[in-house]
Amino acid sequence: MEDMIHMDRAMSAQQDIKISAKGVQVYYGDNHAIKDVDVEIEDKTVTAFIGPSGCGKSTFLRCINRMNDTIDVARVTGDIRIDGEDIYDPKVDPVQLRAKVGMVFQKPNPFPKSIYDNVAYGPKIHGLARNKADLDEIVEKSLRKAALWNEAKDRLDSPGTGLSGGQQQRLCIARAIATAPEVLLMDEPCSALDPIATAQVEELIDELRQSYSVVIVTHSMQQAARVSQRTAFFHLGNLVEYDTTDKIFTNPQDPRTESYISGRIG
Amino acid sequence: MTNSLLQSDARTKKRNAAEARFRAYGFSAICVAMFALVILLTSVLLNGVSSFQQTFVTLPIELVEERVDKQGNRDRAEMAKTTTIGYAPLLRDAFVAEIESLGIETELGARDLADMISKEAAATVRNRVLADPTLVGQTIEFDLLASGRIDAYFKGDVTMESAALDGNTSPEALMVAQALADAGIMETKFNWGFFTRPDASVQRPEAAGLGVAILGSIYMMLVVLFLALPIGVASSIYLEEFAPKNRITDIIEVNISNLAAVPSIVYGILGLAIFINFMEFNQSSPLVGGLVLTLMTLPTIIISTRAALKSVPPSIRDAALGVGASKMQSVFHHVLPLAAPGILTGTIIGLAQALGETAPLLLIGMVAFVREYPAAYTPEAGLFGEASTALPVQVFNWTQRSDPAFVERASGAIITLLVFLLIMNAVAIYLRRRFERRW
Repeated sequence: MEDMIHMDRAMSAQQDIKISAKGVQVYYGDNHAIKDVDVEIEDKTVTAFIGPSGCGKSTFLRCINRMNDTIDVARVTGDIRIDGEDIYDPKVDPVQLRAKVGMVFQKPNPFPKSIYDNVAYGPKIHGLARNKADLDEIVEKSLRKAALWNEAKDRLDSPGTGLSGGQQQRLCIARAIATAPEVLLMDEPCSALDPIATAQVEELIDELRQSYSVVIVTHSMQQAARVSQRTAFFHLGNLVEYDTTDKIFTNPQDPRTESYISGRIG
Repeated sequence: MTNSLLQSDARTKKRNAAEARFRAYGFSAICVAMFALVILLTSVLLNGVSSFQQTFVTLPIELVEERVDKQGNRDRAEMAKTTTIGYAPLLRDAFVAEIESLGIETELGARDLADMISKEAAATVRNRVLADPTLVGQTIEFDLLASGRIDAYFKGDVTMESAALDGNTSPEALMVAQALADAGIMETKFNWGFFTRPDASVQRPEAAGLGVAILGSIYMMLVVLFLALPIGVASSIYLEEFAPKNRITDIIEVNISNLAAVPSIVYGILGLAIFINFMEFNQSSPLVGGLVLTLMTLPTIIISTRAALKSVPPSIRDAALGVGASKMQSVFHHVLPLAAPGILTGTIIGLAQALGETAPLLLIGMVAFVREYPAAYTPEAGLFGEASTALPVQVFNWTQRSDPAFVERASGAIITLLVFLLIMNAVAIYLRRRFERRW
């Protein structure tokens, strides 16, 4: 408790801290996937997690909305707080947490339903809309924010799976922001997209920064450099370095970071 | 050693030969299977199609009041005292009179002539009279079943030569039958009775039908559908989506797979011990049959439902959980609709399997000779509690009877069963096409 108060004071001095993790360990069965990670993620900022495959960056991302709960063998210890509240507290319902912390996955995974239903699903199950007009408004707002409204407004009833890959991913983003989350987690959102679609999504991420704290996992260092303000470098389950993106890419402190960004490991 | 692409080397030749051999094996295996199927279908069809035709005699019968209503008061209870034996002379007299009026000459006596009409005919007349007492005293035209041998004569199974050696008929009777057919009194028509009549005794194969068996099978399928589908789907969803993966669920999983391989007769013994001896449900009832078949079908449904659930991509579950759906919402809103075609197909295949199952039903007494149509519900017997029989058991029953006319009936019953199975499979395919979605 002492700790926390101390921490809070320290934070308010700088930018607002949205998520703070301390001593996070993740085990998949016997495999120690995340080793003692401390990180503080700021509000209204894009934070990129980079690192070679299997370094635990996606695993750590999935801790933030407790998606690891769905994996039987996964065990998470340590302390992750959003706005000072411990999300692994037994009183926390992961369902409520996930409404607050939206997620976009690596492969576009729209529901095999209409575009409208894809976006409306979250607000419906959380009771965010009182009537159809409300819901229509939420759907339109979300699709606009996801830069998909112009392409989709005339075919809201056609299946979401019929869109192109990039459109599908933007639909997934619209779906994630429809529940009015405060944090948006993106797990390699562009890895299945072509360069043009990637550029559109990146542009979108930059706009989303106005309203959300965005955490993005990416394999592409150029992408991290383009979209993020802060970057965390993971290696073999350790958080090696965490600083402003500029600093990580121009003046890394750790030799491992340097070899990774210069392409020697990874 | 040449490197030309125009010449295949030894290795390639060997590989191509192996491929060609494998194709030939596969093709011949398919041919053998198709050949067996063709033989089966041809023999069943050749034997059985004739059971959908039946020979009838059209006779005007005077319902003499002194015989059918001795009190003369049209009281059904009183009239019911006259048994079919009391009606037999009416039929005999009418038949003999008809033959005489047509000028057909025969050496046969009235008794032998009367044997050309089915013993079931008197019951047909009696039932009609009891249903409508106002008919008494009038002369009514009846369509009556001809006896089995006469029927077989028109289907080509009995000839003059075989009739000469047969104690149940004679060449003279066949000649009379032919004359009646020429006169238009006797004709072979589509046999609706085959689907509506109950089973008949060994002496009157011409009257035997599948009515009770079809009804019993339908009742059992209803029981199976309403028990096995919800229980099977619920347990698969629980096992697949909610249950923790540990040793206990592993054991359950292995046991379910083993249950699917348990010989069906074992389920019959189980049903006999539990449902009849312990729970004291009625013997031969579709309820007990349905419960036994439910036990038997459950593993099939569970296995196919789990396979269907497994085939739903995990990304859909992630997507649902990611927007904050609860586990149950993600299963019921997203996973289950996508798995539905697979579940339906599995269920229908399970039902089809249950429809054709014989062995366990023999053990719970469904092999009994049942004349009465079972009611779906009676206060005494409860839901589906009245004795009944089932289609496959009826086939089994008829194949055991000595009269050759039952061979035809058994094959006819097999065709009926196959048609039901075909319909169910067609529905399964239709539903799968209808609900299949791409993602």
